Amino acid sequence: MKFAEFKAPKGVIKVELELTDDAISRISLSGDFFMYPEDALERLERALVGVKARRESLLAVVRSFYSSTGAKTPMVEPEHWVEAILRAAGS
Amino acid sequence: MVKKWRLLPMRVDDAFMSMAIDEAILRLNAEGRVPNTVRFWRWLPSAVSLGCFQSVEREVDLAVAKRYGVDVVRRITGGGAVFHDHDGELTYSVVCKQGDVPDDIIESYKLICGGLVQGFAQLGSRAEFKPVNDVQVNGKKISGSAQTRRWGSVLQHGTVLISPDVRKMFELLRVSPEKISDKFIASVFERVTTVERELGRKPSFEEVRNAMSKGFESSLDVEFFEGELTNEEFALAAKLKPKYASDEWLRKR
Repeated sequence: MKFAEFKAPKGVIKVELELTDDAISRISLSGDFFMYPEDALERLERALVGVKARRESLLAVVRSFYSSTGAKTPMVEPEHWVEAILRAAGS
Repeated sequence: MVKKWRLLPMRVDDAFMSMAIDEAILRLNAEGRVPNTVRFWRWLPSAVSLGCFQSVEREVDLAVAKRYGVDVVRRITGGGAVFHDHDGELTYSVVCKQGDVPDDIIESYKLICGGLVQGFAQLGSRAEFKPVNDVQVNGKKISGSAQTRRWGSVLQHGTVLISPDVRKMFELLRVSPEKISDKFIASVFERVTTVERELGRKPSFEEVRNAMSKGFESSLDVEFFEGELTNEEFALAAKLKPKYASDEWLRKR
């Protein structure tokens, strides 16, 4: 189990993940951020499974999550999730 | 015409009932069954509330909570863990239709937290809104809030720090024990303040409630009428309470 956290402008993103062949096989996101609607976080986790732990691939998935769900996370941007995930992957 | 919102009497409940009451009001407001509502309440026993996305194991020392008899509950709102000290903290909740606050999230926090800012002014303290969800006095946090929007209505609840036991707070929240030194506590007081510290006295809970409720009337531009929870709200809260008290909900993350 890999773990890391990253302090976004509003909230600390905590990431637990497992990698299989450089791709995310399990991921759990937690922290004191806000996300509207709240159940979107599980969709983000599901969308990340199977994705290679590389900046461009992750960013594309996180951006597509925002546009397809309309989720809002005040002062937390797609890049912040990616940074937190990359830190965990590299931990 | 002046908009009329319901102001509920102060309540003191355990963590699970309090969270259930907030959700019951939110759900029934969304269904048009109860009016927009403001309430103030305290926690008995003292409790830690966790943001809905937080990991309980990572944020709270459950053994310490058990030793102190402090309840731990997961909220339906995001944000961080809060220690609700029975003797040192007042909590408020605002429930209203989505259309009665700005659609923009930070603007809606600003409007509702504006009631607290005016309430602190009533008490004699100059406070300001600090986006996303805090109220500060002289750059130090004195109140934090959390909001959810569901089913067409908004619930925002938050804390007013009156005179919390800060050392106990950091024993409960996961900060490494060696960090909880006098120096650490002193550094907390550079970032966080309390009503007692700002006023040089500890006002009664009623005094703080009255100041904040005047503040909300003014910032929300509404008039309060004194109301009670309806039987329907009580019944729904009783039905929702077991979820909040369950291990499954607590350990969701």
